[in-house]
This record gives sequence, C-alpha cells and structure tokens, in this order.
Amino acid sequence: MRAFFLILISICVLPLIVRPVIATEIWIFAIFGLGLNLLLGYTGLLSFGQSTFFGSAAYVAGWLLKHYGINVFIALGIGVGVGALSALVVGYLCVQRSGLYFIMLTFALNQLFYFVAYQWTSVTGGEDGMQGVPRPEFLGLDFKDPLVYYVFVSVLFLASLWLMKRIVESPLGRILQAIRENEVRAGAVGYHVPRFKLLAFVIGGAFSGVAGVLYAMLFGIVPLEAIGFVFSGNVVFATLIGGSGSLYGPIIGSFVFIWLSESMSVVWARWPLLLGVAFVIVVLFLRGGVVEAWHRFWTWRRSSKPAT
Amino acid sequence: MAQVLDMAAILETRNLSKSFGALAAVQDVSLAIEAGGLHSIIGPNGAGKTTLFNLLTGSFPPTSGRILLDQQDVTGTPAHRIAHLGLSRSFQRTNVFPAFSLLQNVWIAAFATGRSWNGLLFRNTDQYPEANEQARQALRDVGLIDKQNHLAREISHGEQRQLELAIALAARPRVLLLDEPAAGLSPEETRRMVALVRSLKGRYTIVLIEHKMDIIMSVSDRISVMHFGRLIAEGAPAEIQRNPEVRRAYLGGVAA
Repeated sequence: MRAFFLILISICVLPLIVRPVIATEIWIFAIFGLGLNLLLGYTGLLSFGQSTFFGSAAYVAGWLLKHYGINVFIALGIGVGVGALSALVVGYLCVQRSGLYFIMLTFALNQLFYFVAYQWTSVTGGEDGMQGVPRPEFLGLDFKDPLVYYVFVSVLFLASLWLMKRIVESPLGRILQAIRENEVRAGAVGYHVPRFKLLAFVIGGAFSGVAGVLYAMLFGIVPLEAIGFVFSGNVVFATLIGGSGSLYGPIIGSFVFIWLSESMSVVWARWPLLLGVAFVIVVLFLRGGVVEAWHRFWTWRRSSKPAT
Repeated sequence: MAQVLDMAAILETRNLSKSFGALAAVQDVSLAIEAGGLHSIIGPNGAGKTTLFNLLTGSFPPTSGRILLDQQDVTGTPAHRIAHLGLSRSFQRTNVFPAFSLLQNVWIAAFATGRSWNGLLFRNTDQYPEANEQARQALRDVGLIDKQNHLAREISHGEQRQLELAIALAARPRVLLLDEPAAGLSPEETRRMVALVRSLKGRYTIVLIEHKMDIIMSVSDRISVMHFGRLIAEGAPAEIQRNPEVRRAYLGGVAA
C-alpha cells in the first residue's frame, strides 16, 4: 500500500520536475521492465531479446495507426497481440535450451528481427525509422496534448502494475519462482517446465507490446533501435539496477535509467560511463539493486538506534 | 527370472533395462510392488537403485522393458506427468526450493496435483483452501508445522530431509518412492526418520531405497536386492538375511 502511494505521488510530481515527454517515457519503460522482470526476476531467465516484442508491436501498430487510422485502444490491443504472438514464437524456440544457450538464442532471434526491420524499408523505413506515427484523438481526449498523453500512459502503467501484481501473487507466479529455485524439482512435482517458461514469455511479450505501442505514439516514430539489441540490453540493465528480485525494482530502474540518460546526456556525452559504474556496483555488491539498498538502509537505521 | 505377477501389484516393471553407453545401469529388472506395502530396494553403491527410481519417475525413458502403474503402461511418460498419475518421489540429495518458506515448498507440490487450476493467473495463492490444507497436513505429518514460515535454506540438514519427504507427501500420491531418506543423518535423526517412515506405512504404498540395514530390516514387508544393475534376490526380510548370495554381494559376509 505504501509503495502504491509512493508511485501515485511520483506520477503527480514527475511532470513538474522533468519534461512531460521524459516523464511519459519513464512509465512506458517501466511497463517494459515489468514484462522483462517476470522472466528475469521471477523465472530466472535472462532474456536478451525483449526488444523483439517491443519493436514488432510498435511497427505493426504504428503501420496501422499511420495507414488505417485505427484508434489508440485498438492500437494497444494490437500491441498486446503482436507482443504476445512474437513472444510465443521466439519463446517456443528459446525454452528448448537453458543457460548460456538460452541467452544466446534470445539474442540471435532478436538480431533476426532487427535485420528484417532493417531491410524491409518500404514498411519500417529501415534506418530512418517508421516516421509519422500519429496519436489520434479519441472520445474527445486530445492525446496530442503531452499532459493528456502522460495521464493516459500513467493510468495504463498503474493497470499494468496491478495486473502484474496479481500474476506474481497467483499460483503462476509461485510456479515460475519454483522453476527459478529448482527446475528439476518443479518438474518432478508435476509442472511442465518449458510450457510455464513459455507462458512467462508470452505474458512478458504482451507487456512489452503495450510499451512498444505507447513508445511509438509518444515520439511519433518507431526508430530502428526500438527493435535492436541495445534496447534489449537497456531494459535488462535498468531492471538489474532497480532490483530484479522485487515487483517494484524495474520501476525504480526505469526511473534511474531514463532520468539519468536524459539529464546527463545533455551535460556530458560520456554519461554511459556512469551507468557502467552503477552496473558494476550492483553486480558486485548489491545483487538486489536499489530495492535491496533501500532495505539495507532501513535495517541499518533500525539496528543503529540505541535500544530503549 | 520367472515370476508370477501378482494381480494386486500397483506398480510393476517388466524386463526393464537402461544403458548409458556401454554401462548397463539397470538390466532386465522385473519387479512387482504390492499395494499398501513397504517394499525396499537394497544393494551396494552403484547397483542401479537410483537409476531404477529415475526410470520409474520418468526422468529418462528406459532402453527396453515396460513400466506399469495399475496395469496401465506408463513407459516413457515424462516426469511432470508421472506426478499426476499418483507417483511421487523424494530425492537422495536434498532437492527443495531454497528461497521458499517450508509451507511454500509443500504448497507448490500440493497445488500441482490439486483438483483444479482455476485462477492460475490471477487468484491469490492464499485462496486455495484445499491446497493450503494439504500442504499443512504434509508438514504436520513430518513434524515441521511449527517451522512453516522458515525458509528452506535456513533449517538444519535433518529438517531438510524431512521437508524433502513432505514435498513428496504433499502430492497425496498412491505410491511414494523414497530415495535414501536417511542419507547423511545422525543416529538420532535417523531414528526419527525411521519412526516417520513407519508412521506412513499403510497410508501409502512405499518403495524405499536405503543403505542402512537396521532401517530396512525393521520396516520392510518385502526386499529386493540389486547388484550390478540386476535383481539377485527378493523376499521377506528374514529370507533376505539368510540368503547367501545377498550376503556375499551386499553384506560382505558380515552377519547382520
């Protein structure tokens, strides 16, 4: 409940601190992170190909928005569908292997999608990206107004968070964690492990798809990078910094990552160096990311208070 | 080995063999496990006992031969299906979910074989009264109910062995396969484990692999002896103790 209020306050305060576009991007990236974390944090699967689902959904919905004038909600529905479907195909191939081979497969298939987008210039615009993706008005809501769109994205983010909370607290969430903890035993007690991994992929893909469509509408363009491996890496990066062991980790990670990259890139061209340092610190000392740092800080505060 | 296959057999193997390359880990094993009894499988290290368990629970398919559960051919059924057929196992090396509480450890097994997976994606795990009760009962059976909220990685080795057993029990199996439940236990803990296994007798059909002779002789209804992948003897505990071939192979001539 306290976390919920903190998020609500952040949603209200954020557009006062940063430009609405950046504020919007933070919540979009958080939805993307929520989807990845179901795989990374809960199932223990490091997917280096999340931008496959993000980008595919953005391209398909972007194309339909541009040429067929579909409304925003249909675009989002298509994003969910394309994200889930591409995750079904990619996931099906990836869950056949584990460990390093699994990671390489997610990466390789991502590259495959990337080159399709790169080559298919008549549709995707290739290196120039798919430009001119509109943000059509719907039911009197003028999404072209950055603040209206910000509120819209925030509401969708809250809905995504609520949905993900339900999922991770459901039997599925516990089964995925059981697979992370001990795959062999999870199979022995009666769970078809590859099928559950695939389900995690599909759900994660649907979240990525929503994020992809929102992203395309935010910037009015689907850049080629949106389906590239750097983008896949960024969401892993952000989630690890925030803390993959917690539901809220990817949200904090998204905040840190987007805010740093937007504010620092103006000041200092070598800003990714800072991210690198942050990443090293997390990997070496803080496996639970910012969330763990927060917990440690409070335990330390409590224990250092004199006993009365 | 010619034998009359008992109609009351709940679990049977017929000429079951498994080879890993040139190594014949299990050779031509025909076993009949009678419903309701406690059937032990003994043999020196490397005799193929655990491989036999792995075959029975579908960890890998046999090279040849058949496995029958309730007269139904289940040969080649994958591990995750076996649990749903009422066959449940514990592992020789503790194989639990370390970051889970004890209750969550058994809950995951109780839910797997539960009657309904309704709400799999959105209902809170607290809202499955049947699985929750089944999980608590499994912890009660092994005497760990007081520690239900402890994490599995934080309890003692002896308690982890009890938890290992509880996970197998939580599925409410018809046949319980126990792979050295007393492995690595102190004499005191072993005594407790023997009492525990004895308390389960009659409630489940039990197949037990064990090294400690005192356990086997005191709790078994029937004993099968494996040596180099083959069954070399089968009978009641007293018969096995008298069998000269068994003494040579396994007891090393020491009078038990």
